Amino acid sequence: MDFLQPSTMAEALAAKAEHPGAVPIAGGTDVMVEMNFDKHRPPALLDVTRVSELTEWGMDDGRVRLGAGVSYTRIIDELGDRLPGLAMASRTVGSPQIRNRGTVGGNLGAASPAGDAHPALLAADAEIELQSTAGTRVVKAHEFYLGVKRNAARRDELITAIVLTPPSGPQQFCKIGTRNAMVISVAAFGLALHPDRRVVRTGIGSVAPTPRRAYAAEEFLAAELESAGLWESRAELPTALAREFGEKVKAAGAPIDDVRGTAAYRLHSLAVMARRAVTWAWTDYRTARGT
Amino acid sequence: MQLSVNGQSRDLELDNRTTLLDALREHLGLIGSKKGCDHGQCGACTVLLDGRRTNACLVLAVTCAGREVATIEGLAGPDGLHPVQQAFVEHDGFQCGYCTPGQIMSAVGMLEEFERGWPSAVTGEVQPAGLTAPEIRERMSGNLCRCGAYVGILAALTDVASRS
Amino acid sequence: MTAITTRAVGSSPTRIEGTAKVTGAARYSTEQDHLGDVAYLWPVPATIAKGRVEAVDSDAVAGLPGVLAVLTPDNAPRLETPDDAELAVLQDHEVSYRGQFVAAVVATSLETAREAAASLHITYAEVPHDSELTENHPKLSKPEKVNPAFPTDTEDGDVDAALAAAAVTVDATYRTPPVHNNPMEPHASLAVWLGHELTLYDSLQGAFAAQQALAKLFALPPASVHVINEHVGGGFGSKGTVRLGAVLAAMAAREVGRPVKVVLGRQHMFTVVGYRTPTIQRVRLGADADGQLTAIEHAAIEQTSTVLEFAEQTTVATRIMYAAGSRRTSHRLAALDVPTPRWMRAPGECPGMFALESAMDELAVATGVDPVEIRIRNEPDVEPESGKPFSSRNLVACLREGAERFGWAARDPRPGVRRDGRWLVGTGVAASTYPSYVGPSTASAAAEPGGGFVVRISAADIGTGARTVLTQIAADALRVRVEEVRVEIGDSSFGQAALAGGSMGTASWGWAVTRAGERLRAALDEHGGDGRLEVHVDTAEEVKARTGFAYHAFGAQYAEARVDLDTGEVRVPRLLGVFGVGRIVNPRTARSQLIGGMTMGLSMALHEEGVLDPAFGDYVNHDFAGYHVAAAADVADIDAVWVDEQDEHVNPLGVKGIGEIGIVGTAAAVANAVFHATGVRVRDLPIRLDKLLGGLPG
Repeated sequence: MDFLQPSTMAEALAAKAEHPGAVPIAGGTDVMVEMNFDKHRPPALLDVTRVSELTEWGMDDGRVRLGAGVSYTRIIDELGDRLPGLAMASRTVGSPQIRNRGTVGGNLGAASPAGDAHPALLAADAEIELQSTAGTRVVKAHEFYLGVKRNAARRDELITAIVLTPPSGPQQFCKIGTRNAMVISVAAFGLALHPDRRVVRTGIGSVAPTPRRAYAAEEFLAAELESAGLWESRAELPTALAREFGEKVKAAGAPIDDVRGTAAYRLHSLAVMARRAVTWAWTDYRTARGT
Repeated sequence: MQLSVNGQSRDLELDNRTTLLDALREHLGLIGSKKGCDHGQCGACTVLLDGRRTNACLVLAVTCAGREVATIEGLAGPDGLHPVQQAFVEHDGFQCGYCTPGQIMSAVGMLEEFERGWPSAVTGEVQPAGLTAPEIRERMSGNLCRCGAYVGILAALTDVASRS
Repeated sequence: MTAITTRAVGSSPTRIEGTAKVTGAARYSTEQDHLGDVAYLWPVPATIAKGRVEAVDSDAVAGLPGVLAVLTPDNAPRLETPDDAELAVLQDHEVSYRGQFVAAVVATSLETAREAAASLHITYAEVPHDSELTENHPKLSKPEKVNPAFPTDTEDGDVDAALAAAAVTVDATYRTPPVHNNPMEPHASLAVWLGHELTLYDSLQGAFAAQQALAKLFALPPASVHVINEHVGGGFGSKGTVRLGAVLAAMAAREVGRPVKVVLGRQHMFTVVGYRTPTIQRVRLGADADGQLTAIEHAAIEQTSTVLEFAEQTTVATRIMYAAGSRRTSHRLAALDVPTPRWMRAPGECPGMFALESAMDELAVATGVDPVEIRIRNEPDVEPESGKPFSSRNLVACLREGAERFGWAARDPRPGVRRDGRWLVGTGVAASTYPSYVGPSTASAAAEPGGGFVVRISAADIGTGARTVLTQIAADALRVRVEEVRVEIGDSSFGQAALAGGSMGTASWGWAVTRAGERLRAALDEHGGDGRLEVHVDTAEEVKARTGFAYHAFGAQYAEARVDLDTGEVRVPRLLGVFGVGRIVNPRTARSQLIGGMTMGLSMALHEEGVLDPAFGDYVNHDFAGYHVAAAADVADIDAVWVDEQDEHVNPLGVKGIGEIGIVGTAAAVANAVFHATGVRVRDLPIRLDKLLGGLPG
C-alpha cells in the first residue's frame, strides 16, 4: 500500500490524478475502520491533513467555505452560529474522539445513508466543491448522493470543500438511535427554514438508499406558510400543519428493515422528528432567535 | 520516522500500515493504551494527539510525525498520580482495568474541552457553570466499560470537576 | 464451622493493583516486553456456515516477506484429542459454523499477518446449513444433563391438573436473543517454548485448568506447562476455560521457533469464544385468586453447535424460587450450524429469571396482587425441589428493604397512566438469585525473610477485586495488618484452584487462603518467628464435607422506566438492587461488582442482541457499532446495597458469590417497569423502540 502525503493542494490533486484508486484520508474515522475490518485495503492512501485549504474554513462572498477536512469538533465550536444545523448534527456524530478527528469530507466520501452530516447539508442547500487537475466543479448536495455509498465525485477528484450560505432562518436536526450516545442513527432529520427565499428545505437520513430531501413536504409547508401569511405574521404554527408536514416527510422515506430498526419504525420516527423539528424551528422563528 | 510521545522524541522504523496504537504497543512498549476493538468504537486506545482525545487505532503512525502524543504512561507527575487517576482509584472507577487508561485519557481531554466551552449534544444554549452528571455521561460516552463501572467513573469525575 | 475473627474483612481498602491499572503499568496477558522477537498470528475465519475446506492456497502468501508460516488443516501439527472439541483447531477439514478458524498466518508483524490472512484463498465444498432456532425445530432433543450437571427435566406434583383447576393462570412465551460476552480485553495469548517447556501468558479466568488442558493437548506433563494470567481484562465466562487462541499460539510458537502472540480481533469475539444461547421459554403459572402459586411450568428451548454440546441450565432457578403445589421444568436443545454457545455471566439464571420474573409480574397483574407482595406470598420454607433447608435466604428482607428505599409503597398499579411531559413513567420489581458454589483449592502461605507474609494461590482477578479481598482475608487469618501481606495470584505453578467463574472465587480461594493463613499463624505461634516457614493447604476434603443445605444468594431489583410517548425510546433513570449475599469482604469492590452486573443487565434489557442472518449463518452486527452495549449515557442512577446476612453453613467465611447475581433479574425488572409505564408487555429482549410503538397510549 502506497502512502501519499502531499503538503499543497496542487500536490494533492496531482497525486489523485496519478493514483485515481488512492483513498483520501483525513481523520481516518471511516477509512481506517474499513481497513481494520480487513475489508478494503486500497492501493494507496492520500493523507490530506497537511493541505491547509482542506483543513480551514473561511468566508467567501458572504458564504462559508468549509474545508472538507475541518473536524466536527471545530464545526461545533467555531461555526455554531453560521452553520447551526450542521453544528447540531456534528454534536451527535460518533463519540468525542471521533468528532475530534472526523470530517464532513469523510462523511461525504463514504456517502453512507446513515451519515449524520447529510440531512443538515441537504436542508442547508449546501454545495460540494470537487477539484481535480482538470479544474473545479460544484455539485449541489441533493445531486451528490448517487446510491448506497456512491457519490458524484469522479475517481480523479477530491472533495475539497462544502459551501454553505449562513441561514436566514432557523435550522434543526434530530436523530433517533438505539443507544443514548455513540450511535448510528435509526433515522435522522434535518430542517432549515429559509425566510429570505420563502422556502423550506429538509434532509432525511437512514431511511432510504441515499440521504435525500422530502421535496413534497418542503413544497407543502412552504405553500401553507405562504397562503396563511405565516412568514409575515409569525403566528403560531397550527398543530395539524406540523403533523401533516411530518406525514409528508415520512412519505419520502423508503427504508429497509435492518439490525438497527424496522422500516415501519423508521418511517414512524421520521414523522415524529419532522413534526417536532418544525415545531421547534417555528418557535425559534417566532421569537426571531433563528434569524 | 520520529514520534514524540509524552514529550520524548522516539525514533522508529514503521510500516506505513501501522496504526499509532500498534506503534505504541508493539514498537515502543507503551502498553497502557489498550486495543479493545480496533475500530474507534470503544475508546480503550484513547490518547491525546496534539492535546485532543483521539482513538489511536484510527490513526496511522506515519501521519503523526511532528505531532505530540500523550499516553497514560506520561500522565502521573513526579508528585504522584494525576487527580483523575487518583479519583478513579478512590471511587473504584474500574474493575478489570482494561478500559481504564482510555477512560482516564478521555476524561483529561474532556475536562479541558469543557473548560474551553465546547458544547456537547446535551448542552443547551448556555453551558452549565460546572460539569453536571448528564454532561459527564454524554462526554464520556466514547469509552465503553463492559464491567459496568460507569457509576464509579461518574463519581470520580464529579469529584475531580468539583475540585478544579 | 468455627467463626473467624475479622478485622480487615469488612473494610474497604482500594484495589491493590489500582495504581498499576490507572497508570497503564499493569501488564495484561500478551503485554510482555522481555521476550525478544515476537511473531504475530492472525486467524482466517470460514466464510461458509457448513461444509469442508477443500484447499488452502498457502503458496501465494507463504512467500510474502515477513510471513513465517501458514497453518492449515493440512499442515497443522496434530494434537491429542481434547475434552473440549473447540480446541481441536485446524485438526480436520470440517466447517461447522461460519467464522470457525480454518487457517492462520504467522508473520513478523501484525500488519503482514493480517494482510496475508485476508488474501489467503480458500476453496470450500459448501453444503446447506441450518442456523435458526425455532420453537418446533426438528432437531430439538433432550440433552442428558444441563450445565454443569443438573437434571434436564424435573417434575413434582400434577402440574396439568393444578393448571386446569387454577383460579388464575399465566401462559406466556419469552425469548432472549444471543448475547455476546465481549470483555473489553479480547482473548489474548502469548506462547513461548523453551525446549519442551511451554509458557503461556493468557487472559484466562483460571490458569490451573488451562495448564491441565494444554498439557493434555500437547502431550506434556502438566509441570512442563506454565500459565500466567496476572491481570485479566474481563471475561464474564468467555475466558473460563482455555480457548482456541491459546492453542494456536502454542502450536505456532513451536512451528516458527519463537514466541507467538494471538490477540483476537473484536469480530472474532462474536464467534469463536462463546456467547449466551438464545432461548425460547414458555412459562405457565397457576395460582389461586390471592396469587398463591399452585403450579409452575418452565420449558426452555435453546441451541448448541455441532462441535460440542453446551446445554444451558435455563430453568434451574425456577426449581428453587417459589413455593408451589406442583412444578415442572425442562430443557430442549437443537444442535445447529452456529458458533458454540458457552458460559456468559450467570448462564441459566440470567435468561431463565427474565422469563420467570416477567411471568410473576404478569401473575401480579392478573390477580391484582402487588408484585412485591406476590413474591413474599410464595416464599418457600425449604428449597422447593430438594426439600433441603436454605443455608440462608433473605429474599423477603431484600424485597422489603428495596421497597422502602425505592419508595414502592405509593405505587399506583395501573399501567400506562403516569406522564411527565412526553414521557410515560413506570416502576417494576424482580427477584434475583444465584447459587453459592464453592470449589476445592490449594494455597500456600509463607513468612518472608525480610518480614511480612506472602500468600500464593492460582486465583485470577478479572476485575472482581480478588487480589484485594484475598489480601484482606489473609491478613485476618494471619492476624496481621493488610500492609504486611502480599498475595500472589495468576500463576498455574501455585497449584490447583477454582477458576474465576460461577461466582465462587472468594468463597473457594478465601477458604484456602484462610486455612493457609491460620496454619502459618499456628506454626509461627508454635515455632516462633523463623523466617523460612511455609505451609501448603488443600481444601478438597473440607469442601466435599459441605452438605445438608441449599446454598443460594438472593436479591431484589427495582427499576424505573421512562418511555417516550411518540418514539418509544426507553430510559432507565433508576435501578436499585438489594442483595442477601452473606458476608461482604470489601464493600467498595462488592458494590462495584453488583452494580456492574446490574449495568450489564440493563444493557441486556435495552440493547444487546446478536442478530443472526439465517442466510449466512452469521452474526451480522459483530462489532461495537452494531452490537450495542450500554454506554455512559445509558446508565443513570444505579445503586446496590445488601442486607445483613450471616450464614455459618455456606463456607468458613460466610461469603456468597456476588459476580453474577447482579445481572439476574435486572432485565425483568426493567421490562416490568416498561409494562407499568406503557401497558406494553415486551416478552422478547431487547426492549427495542419498535416493539413498543404499536401499543403506546395515544
